[in-house]
Amino acid sequence: MRRWAHRTHLAGLLLSAVLLACRQAERSPSHQGVVVTDDAGRRVGLAAPAQRVVSLLPSFTELLFAIGAGDRLVGRTAWCDYPPEALRVPSVGDGMPPNVEAVAARHPDLAVLYRSGPNVTAAEQLERLGIKTVLLDLNRLEELGPAARRLGVLTGRVASADSLARAMDSLAAAPPQPLTPGPQSLVFIVWDNPPIVIGAGSYLDRLASLAGARNVFHDIAAPSAQVSIETIAARDPDFVAVLSDSVVPPRYAGRPEWRVVRAVRAGRFLFLPGQLFGRPGPRVAEAVRELRHRLDATP
Amino acid sequence: MKYVLLAAVAVVTLAGAVLLGAAEVPLRDMVASPIVWQLRLPRAVLAFLVGGALGVSGVGLQALVRNPLADPFLLGLSGGAGLGAVVAIAFDLPGPWALPLAAFVGAVGAMALVYRLGLMGGAELDPRILLLGGVAVGAFAGAITTAIVSLAQATELRNAFLWLWGGFSGASWTTVLVMVVYAPLPLAVLAAAARPLDLLALGEEPAQYLGADVRRLKRLVYLAASLLTAAAVAVAGVIGFVGLVVPHVCRLVWGRLHRTLFPTAFLAGGILLVAADTLARTVVAPRELPVGIVTALLGVPVFAFLLRRWTVS
Repeated sequence: MRRWAHRTHLAGLLLSAVLLACRQAERSPSHQGVVVTDDAGRRVGLAAPAQRVVSLLPSFTELLFAIGAGDRLVGRTAWCDYPPEALRVPSVGDGMPPNVEAVAARHPDLAVLYRSGPNVTAAEQLERLGIKTVLLDLNRLEELGPAARRLGVLTGRVASADSLARAMDSLAAAPPQPLTPGPQSLVFIVWDNPPIVIGAGSYLDRLASLAGARNVFHDIAAPSAQVSIETIAARDPDFVAVLSDSVVPPRYAGRPEWRVVRAVRAGRFLFLPGQLFGRPGPRVAEAVRELRHRLDATP
Repeated sequence: MKYVLLAAVAVVTLAGAVLLGAAEVPLRDMVASPIVWQLRLPRAVLAFLVGGALGVSGVGLQALVRNPLADPFLLGLSGGAGLGAVVAIAFDLPGPWALPLAAFVGAVGAMALVYRLGLMGGAELDPRILLLGGVAVGAFAGAITTAIVSLAQATELRNAFLWLWGGFSGASWTTVLVMVVYAPLPLAVLAAAARPLDLLALGEEPAQYLGADVRRLKRLVYLAASLLTAAAVAVAGVIGFVGLVVPHVCRLVWGRLHRTLFPTAFLAGGILLVAADTLARTVVAPRELPVGIVTALLGVPVFAFLLRRWTVS
């Protein structure tokens, strides 16, 4: 029941131990080149750790601040709203896809992009302008640690990145919950018509399991999938989790076809703010705690 | 005889739709179960009505433009409906009916524009101009839709397209009621046009000589078929293929007389869509397939088989 608390505590211990160990290592900054391999299989080499970085995903912005490289940030997306200091960095637009000219106008020596089709093209264009780029995956909990490590290498914050990455890795390595009917079950409803729910291949599914709750669609391997209302009613979750910054029940909650689902009828909604839950980031332990708190606080 | 057969198949298909589903409902609880009453039954009835409407609408439009490729959505309707749906989400219009209503308005708007193009310079709904106008208006609406999607910052916009691809997740007795109240008028208009539409198949001039008021006929059929399709879009999104294939199947099996074509296309369209939706809900459970995929997977082999038999004989 309280396994999550144990886990996050363990992560905290690891984190402080690693921080101590690495403080010594960082004393001798090397002035030689840095090299990483990104998730597109490209070799990304810089003559020296990046001094001017543009981040094109909120999670990367959070990670950069978390490893102490926030002061290197010279550009971010319109969505990057955490930590609050990030808002002082000039925005280069919504980043979907990146506005190459706006990024170039910040004169970065490194642009960090999420690996997706349009971003691969944008990265090629930036490289042609002489701006180094790194393409990273960030869909699952397991990808947070490796992303943090490589950002650490590229910004010369190896030690603190490594300690953060270890904390992330230990959370990711936590054994998956067995699929027995647990005390609490939930469904993440992303959209109502057609109903789209979160499956096992997603970050939110892991969050739920770390918080001690069972995603009723854990048997769907994909990150998200279309299901019927009837299937949701048949799985009979205790809670409906929605990514929402408000606490107003979604519009469909009053519709007769949705009221067949017990948790909708009873109004057992968990409202998860997008800033914390909508993306994998260094505050994953906080997200787990928050979700646990909401599960306990909702009647 | 053919009506008895079609009605029997329809009853069996509807029964199957009510009996099958993800939730296990014992037979003796069927009558009292909210899963059956609030989910399966309205969904099956709505699928039947929408399938019937699309089938009839397809018969009418194919006769009107005298082109076997005509589909109820070809004449710009899907583009207009898409624009309406995206506008509703991008501007966060309130209320549960905002999205379907906006899609309906978009579809009717596109239809009006194509209709106006069809009447330009005294063209009197020339089939070629209708088809070209439909494609052009559809492309124009699509461009505006894409502009809104790329400029607005609502991540929900992606989901507007999911809705638009069609399906019966939103089925309820209210949506059934909307169709039941709305559909009879355009259906009656089309049924009344059965005989003159037979004449129109001979060509516009011969039809005119044989006593059909071709001008009025074309306008009425165009408006009735399009309004029927727009209502189908509003309650179920764009479900392709039913309106294209069902009229052909009925024509191949039961002949070209519209007096027979309209009722058989209604029943066959309903059967196809109920069967497709039942499969969409059950074959990949717990997931669900978009129903348009299943209509194509079911319809194309039947269509190919009939086409082959027809060309051989």
